[in-house]
Amino acid sequence: MKKIILIVLAVFPSAAVSAQESTPATSSSLAPTVSSTTPVTAADVQALRQQVQSLTETVKALQQQVKDQQAALEKANLTGESGLPQNPEPSPIAGAENSPVPAASAPRRFPTEDTSVVSSAGAAAPSPTPGVTGTAPPEGFPTTDTSVVTSAPETISTTGAGASLTQPITIGGSKNYMNISLDGLFALAYSSARDLDHIEVGDHDPQQRGFNARNIELAFDGAVDPYFEGFANIVFKLDNDNETSVEVEEAFMQTTSLPFNLQLKGGQFFAAFGRLNPTHPHTWDFADTPLVNGLFLGPDGLRGLGAQVSWTLPLPWYSQLIFASQNGRGSTGFSFRNPGDNGMFFDRITTDREARGLQDFVWIPRFENSFNLSDTQTVLVGASGAFGSNETGADSRTQIYGADLLYKWKSARAEAGFPFVKWQTEFMYRRFEAGHGADDSFPVAETFHDWGLYSQVLWGFKKGWVAGIRGDYVHMQDSTFTDDFNRQSRSRISANLTWYPTEFSKIRLQYNHDFLEENFFLSEREVDSLFLQFEFILGSHGAHKF
Amino acid sequence: MKNTLFTLFATVACAFSAEAKLNVVATLPDFGSLAREIGLDKVNVTVLAKPTEDPHFVDARPSFVVSLRNADVLIDGGAELELGWLPPLLQNARNPKIEIGKPGRVQASQGVRLMNVPANVTRAAGDVHALGNPHFTVDPIIAKAIAEHIAQSLSALDPANAAFYEANYKKFETTINAKLQEWGAAMLPFRGQHVVAYHDSWPYFAHRFGLNIDIFLEPKPGIPPSPSHLAEVIAQMKAQHIKAIIVEPFHDRRIAEKVASATGAKVVDFSQFPGGLPGTDSYVKLIDMLVARLAAALK
Repeated sequence: MKKIILIVLAVFPSAAVSAQESTPATSSSLAPTVSSTTPVTAADVQALRQQVQSLTETVKALQQQVKDQQAALEKANLTGESGLPQNPEPSPIAGAENSPVPAASAPRRFPTEDTSVVSSAGAAAPSPTPGVTGTAPPEGFPTTDTSVVTSAPETISTTGAGASLTQPITIGGSKNYMNISLDGLFALAYSSARDLDHIEVGDHDPQQRGFNARNIELAFDGAVDPYFEGFANIVFKLDNDNETSVEVEEAFMQTTSLPFNLQLKGGQFFAAFGRLNPTHPHTWDFADTPLVNGLFLGPDGLRGLGAQVSWTLPLPWYSQLIFASQNGRGSTGFSFRNPGDNGMFFDRITTDREARGLQDFVWIPRFENSFNLSDTQTVLVGASGAFGSNETGADSRTQIYGADLLYKWKSARAEAGFPFVKWQTEFMYRRFEAGHGADDSFPVAETFHDWGLYSQVLWGFKKGWVAGIRGDYVHMQDSTFTDDFNRQSRSRISANLTWYPTEFSKIRLQYNHDFLEENFFLSEREVDSLFLQFEFILGSHGAHKF
Repeated sequence: MKNTLFTLFATVACAFSAEAKLNVVATLPDFGSLAREIGLDKVNVTVLAKPTEDPHFVDARPSFVVSLRNADVLIDGGAELELGWLPPLLQNARNPKIEIGKPGRVQASQGVRLMNVPANVTRAAGDVHALGNPHFTVDPIIAKAIAEHIAQSLSALDPANAAFYEANYKKFETTINAKLQEWGAAMLPFRGQHVVAYHDSWPYFAHRFGLNIDIFLEPKPGIPPSPSHLAEVIAQMKAQHIKAIIVEPFHDRRIAEKVASATGAKVVDFSQFPGGLPGTDSYVKLIDMLVARLAAALK
């Protein structure tokens, strides 16, 4: 086919050239009378006719030549008989319409090769050239097809580590340096409370009645070189006055090829504490942060600059030890070296100091194990800790302990991951030494024993549809000295329904009922809130972890 | 503590002694089946995805990390079918033996000309695969090529048994070549016929046997069938007298049944994967069944 096109292409311009050549000749002879409607002489017509005829003959001759050559090629290629796919040229097939449909005369031999789909394999293997190997049966269906298989080394996928460094970034193809995506997460909120930003404990949660854009996230990831991978999540948030703030939520590198199942990570990253803390809001099953996460680990989660080592134990089941150290400074180290709002935390004037030593870092160990209860049921249990100092006194310490459980059932006939049932629970206990504040300005030192948990069940009942219910409770130790909004015991019940038109978009309706208990300083109250969350994702969407 | 350490060492020792056989992990059951044909008793084959579930969306279960960590060979599609779940598993497995480019990594799409490579990648067209349609193993000629790559990989990692793997490949090739005659003959009366499928998983099968599987219940790949699209499909089926609708185990069969009852066509249970249909524990048995079922429905 290509040859015919080539010949046509070759013949056409030459014909055009000869036509052009002839035109000036005639027109020059007629030059004086060009403007008038001079009839073309019979001789001219005759000359043109002859030219066309000779060209037609040339084309016919060439076509015949091509046909002969093809026939010869086929004879050489196929053992004796003509195979089914009669396209000797490897043509990338764009659909079944192009598949070779045989002529009326049924072939006696079904092809068992097809070079249009499968290439001759690497040099190490015997090349499956049709008719050359003795394995092909003498007559029948072709067993090779070059239209489907190409030569092996050319088409090795370059996804993942080790991709060529000379290729440009193209999103959506296989030749990327890095994956880029943009995630826009919005919420339309109504609440019976006028201070929704106090009722909601997370920084990415809806903060006001009306529209909210608390998580517009640029995500980058890719292989740095054969030794490292890099990740970055840059978050843009609009505050209640529609001012934009930017947050380097995560930016870290991690090793890919350390021995003994070890992995090192360094940079700004979420602490591997529990299930929810290390994840980004767009993967959450609810429109807001659970109370215990927001009040113990902080509105932005426990994250910061640091380093982490993890080791998957050589056991027959999944078992991983993770150990991280972070600065723990600022609002992302909420229960740790957090100077608080306006230099106050839990009523104390904070000591905003440089780290004195290792005791001022946050140390975050985690141990997680996973078991398969059956082919369709998986359980993951984890225990986490976070230990460090806080800023409410000279030697005040904070310890947080966590336990988490995830159970998931997914149908053996799941389409797009549905149907499924997922139950996730996290429990945390915090021991917080609230000291005398900077320069012993606060009269009382107290130790708070606080605890809380959330438990949620998600039911993906139909492709794209998930119903969820969540219960929250946080118990804050009573104090007659400390007057802080964040020290009120409270509970919440939430229900939601999410529709994922595809994995790149979602629409979620969520109802929250909040109950805030009375304490020494705050009176009890109840709040009803309704959120309509909507999200889009552009670009390469990172795969989901379990 | 001593006991714990002992247990730990015992486990490690077990892990080492188990290395006598090559640990082969296949992301999908079709690759696993081909690996068994080539490796037979000299390999342990672990398959991650279940034959009855949607291969696009497999849960990245933590136990898969353990399988991948202990793998000597990983066979994956290489055409982004497992894009949604394999990358984090590989990140967590930290196994240099199965990195791309190592002999322990077989990417099945290697050397396969993928069909339907989109000129423009836009998600407005649904769940489009940027590299082309990744459901290629159902073409027996392509399956031979994958089997050959597997044989090469196993031979490279276990040279002592290279002749064994090579011989098994030859046997598989001979079987497929002979079977192709049968399958080709069985499908011959239906050449050029149109068949409806729930999802566009069958262009390679169609190409091999000269069918036109080009009408889908999904309006776009991965998008659930809408009533208006189904009405269109029904009209097309009536006009072209289409006799069969192919569904896979994870598809909503009721939708196909509705369309079938409106058109008089038959719903044909198909699977891309050995084990996806009862009695298809090997690749050859699977294609046998697909050909037999389709031939029966088209008659």
